[in-house]
Amino acid sequence: MWRKSSAESSDRFEYLQTLVTEFQDTDSDEAKEQVLANLANFAYDPKNMDYLRELQVADLFLDMLTEENENFVEFGMGGLCNLSMDPGCRDVILQSDGISLVTNRLASQREETVLSAVTTLMNLVTPSSRSQITDPAILQCMLRFSLSESPRLRNLAAVFLQDVCSEEQVSRAEQQMKVQQTAVGIPLPKD
Amino acid sequence: MAAPVNKNDCWRVPEVYKHHEQRKVCISRPKYREGRKDKAVKVYTINLESRYLMVQGVPAIGVMTELIQLCALYGAVEEYRPLDEYPAEEFTEVYLVKFQKLTSARAAKRHMDEKSFYGGVLHVCYVPEYETVEDTRLKLQDRRGYIKRAAHFRAREREQKEAVHEEPTSSETTTTPEQNIPRHSQTFHSNSTGETSNISQYSSFPILPLPPQEQQFYGQKNQPETTPTEDKMGTLHHAITDSKQQRVQSSSSKQTFSNRDRGAEHRLTSNQPPAVRFVPRTTNLQNRKRKMEEAGKHSVTVSGQNEPLIGPKLPEPSKLDMADQSLNTTVGLIRNTMKQVASVPDLKPVEKKVKPRRRI
Repeated sequence: MWRKSSAESSDRFEYLQTLVTEFQDTDSDEAKEQVLANLANFAYDPKNMDYLRELQVADLFLDMLTEENENFVEFGMGGLCNLSMDPGCRDVILQSDGISLVTNRLASQREETVLSAVTTLMNLVTPSSRSQITDPAILQCMLRFSLSESPRLRNLAAVFLQDVCSEEQVSRAEQQMKVQQTAVGIPLPKD
Repeated sequence: MAAPVNKNDCWRVPEVYKHHEQRKVCISRPKYREGRKDKAVKVYTINLESRYLMVQGVPAIGVMTELIQLCALYGAVEEYRPLDEYPAEEFTEVYLVKFQKLTSARAAKRHMDEKSFYGGVLHVCYVPEYETVEDTRLKLQDRRGYIKRAAHFRAREREQKEAVHEEPTSSETTTTPEQNIPRHSQTFHSNSTGETSNISQYSSFPILPLPPQEQQFYGQKNQPETTPTEDKMGTLHHAITDSKQQRVQSSSSKQTFSNRDRGAEHRLTSNQPPAVRFVPRTTNLQNRKRKMEEAGKHSVTVSGQNEPLIGPKLPEPSKLDMADQSLNTTVGLIRNTMKQVASVPDLKPVEKKVKPRRRI
């Protein structure tokens, strides 16, 4: 299943490289969206992880998080969600300060973006990054998500609170929430 | 409405989410990015996937059984129910189908979506909003585990490739293959110890693919579900319509039975780790041959020293080292058998030929 010939794998690499090049060269937002979605979906298949890392696609996705276009953000976050499952790519994302970029998008209007962001944050947990990811502001955000109307977000936030942080951290965040609110993850009103 | 919404109320009208919609197919892709099938611009993540599927567009002509049978082709169906409250097109029904495994749901979606079914066209989508927290957790854990295993596998493959590349250049040709071989022989051996017995019994039958192993994973989980609390599938019906529940169970148990019928080797082989790497015997033999040739080149100069002494002492049959544990075991077995056969003075040659056991 994972076996591959070297010819096939170099084809794969070249194809992915073509995609990255087109993404960088094109001026059409539509083409960019398509290529970005392609790359993000390729990140779902572990066969492509090494090539995508070599092509620095993680940084490409991270760049998308600061775009205005919500599609770019959604697809970029989806790509990060897929990539960050892989330990190697996870480290790359961590080195590029992925945590704060991802955290900033917890306030997105789009549910898919928020879901990808929460999953990405969970994937990014390592012994050294844990403290940053279990920041009280993020925990309070997850506590709010766990009361969400959307069952998917509710479930995912519950998994985050149960698996990523300790009960004391959660209860401390709950205490803090009563006293002072943070704004992480609260979407801005639509204009 | 001031009435508080009970979040777990199974009688609540299911909501129509955006990810249920069929997105518009993208037609503006350049040739090189065109796939075999027209697809929408959409990114799939593990969050979108689920072992819960919603099937829309089922003609309302009483074909639920047929639909579930179709679903069961792709894996064991754990539960299903019609979503009567979900807004459906006229004369069609919507069903919720819960597979035991995500991979089954994935296969079912891929093969059933946009396919015609009794005159209607099905639209199949994942409905992760029906998951429980535990479902979501397991889904993520499984995915992470899979990717991690894949990463390990790739790393190992790369190592091996590098080792192979080094081989022809390094002067100590004999050391590199030997570094590789233990790894092979280990996996091969661990395989063979567990399986040789069944293989010999059923050697005339090819090993069938493993049956869906869901039982193991969700076995414990089923117990809490029997408590009368309602779950996302609305399994509150325990008290009211028990027959439906039983039908569900019988349909799934039927499946497991049919799997069981297929042969005992399923269960025996199912213990093996998922990513067993099989090193074909021919590869082992070829490796050995190559090594022998290389060793031969070296030993040409020193030959004669190890030549067996010709004299009163009969030479011990030289111990062959096949450089592989599995092969050595086989050689040992053959040698012993030959010894036994040779030592028996011309008895009646095996009258009672062991018939290959036939399975019914």
